Amino acid sequence: MVKKTDSIPPQIVELPRVPVWAIPRGAVDSDIDAAYAAGAALTALDQLVRTDADWLGAWRHRLALKAATASTKLMGRRENEAALRDAWYLRQGTDELGPAGDVLLAWRRLAARSSPPDAEMVETLAVQLGIAWSPEFEDIIEEVAELSASSLPAPFAAAQAAAAVMTRQPKAELLAWWMADCVLSMRMRWPIYTPLLGTQIHAPLLRFGDDRLRARPGSAEFGRAVCIAVALGAADACKLGVTLAAQAEKLRKVEPKLRSKSAAQVLDRLFNDDAVSGSFTTKTLSRWASRRLFERLVQLDAVRELSGRDTFKLYGL
Amino acid sequence: MARLPREHAGLLDTELNGLPQELRWREWMLRVEAVLFAASEPVSRELLARMVGRECSIDLLIEDISSELAGRPYDIVRVAGGWQFRTRPRHADVLQAAASPTTPSAHMTETEMLVLAAIAYHQPATRGTLSDIIGREVSRDVIGRLRELNFIASGPRAPQAGAPYTYVTTKRFLEHFSLETLGDLPAIEALEDAGLIDAVAATPFRDDDPASMPRMLDPDERDLE
Repeated sequence: MVKKTDSIPPQIVELPRVPVWAIPRGAVDSDIDAAYAAGAALTALDQLVRTDADWLGAWRHRLALKAATASTKLMGRRENEAALRDAWYLRQGTDELGPAGDVLLAWRRLAARSSPPDAEMVETLAVQLGIAWSPEFEDIIEEVAELSASSLPAPFAAAQAAAAVMTRQPKAELLAWWMADCVLSMRMRWPIYTPLLGTQIHAPLLRFGDDRLRARPGSAEFGRAVCIAVALGAADACKLGVTLAAQAEKLRKVEPKLRSKSAAQVLDRLFNDDAVSGSFTTKTLSRWASRRLFERLVQLDAVRELSGRDTFKLYGL
Repeated sequence: MARLPREHAGLLDTELNGLPQELRWREWMLRVEAVLFAASEPVSRELLARMVGRECSIDLLIEDISSELAGRPYDIVRVAGGWQFRTRPRHADVLQAAASPTTPSAHMTETEMLVLAAIAYHQPATRGTLSDIIGREVSRDVIGRLRELNFIASGPRAPQAGAPYTYVTTKRFLEHFSLETLGDLPAIEALEDAGLIDAVAATPFRDDDPASMPRMLDPDERDLE
């Protein structure tokens, strides 16, 4: 008898993926090739962003974490993904985030936005990204607004936004990537912005020339670099979507088996954030109840423990 | 005081529509200069904006004030997200000779400076990590003193037994040492070359992290990794 497989629910099969032919495998030498791949990749990603999947919050915040990890590396800091996650989730009350945690905050703010930044936001962003303020940054707001209303293809509008930041302050590379991502999301008319380019800052395919130097925002090849970053980023993001969708499906399935009264609250958090601290408590959920709930969820294979530690555990899809 | 109560700002005629353009600008310049002069800490753009007209560019205003100060021994500088009056660096010797008790840091001990530097480079760092870095026990007193000076604050808890606090530097730290960002700290390599620190003793925050780099790399070196 053939057992009907139930491991992959139908809606996951239907999740958009970037076609294999649109994912750059080796050096891309022409702008046209890059733009072609980016267009195809964005179509897939656009479909994903516009689904009403309940795990998109977790997805965006995980992309923010990836972008923040790439950013801290660019700053010459040594924090990896796990350290950034710790900075964020082990903070209590009024604790400061520290320089790396601040970078994560900046990307998480992008991942929760649905309107362009104003002058004040750019100023706090600069502080969070460890960039010295330059008075000309104020003009960027206007330029970003113009670019998002222009008829330029999204990746090229994003590249120009990055260039706009760099011409004003060559040291503001992280702000340039952030703005590029912001403009990309704006041009795509995504309801909530999505960190995409920031996740690909160190991708080997973004290195050009004989000395294989990383394409910097504002450089001649940056338009092509953004297209490649879009294609690679969209492919990764869609793949991540498939993983999270499968995990979310498992979680939904076990929900009726959970006896904790606050389970719904915890599940809501899991669907909407990158991780939830194992010591998460609410008015109706004690520390012990929370611990039991997470242990049960792990046992049922519905969530994953993300830190790999025995204590200070962090759970997520 | 730097912080004018909001209601005062509300009553203030900021637009000055009765004045000709040139006088308006002059009045705005004087206002901003007065606020900066009276402030004991850097003044934010937000606060300055409440003193002047809606259309007024704070940056241009400050540029104009600054150019008028060209011959003076002090200037308006941008520190840690705001502006502040500062004496020009070339007068440092004179001020030191005068030994004016301007800041409490004049009384920082060598250990306090050392611990502060360790935090600046290795934040977020716990007291334990800091002890490893400087090679001797960092007492709670030292941490308390740095906190009192408002140079450090508590960061996220470290995922270790007892969930110790980590420490991070503050905006006040940047202000005091005239740094705009942490990126302005001298490169660790330069300090090593100068024999000021020993790279081997400097343990990173996460020693379980395989990606840990023993030292900071400069941007171009990083590119070739």
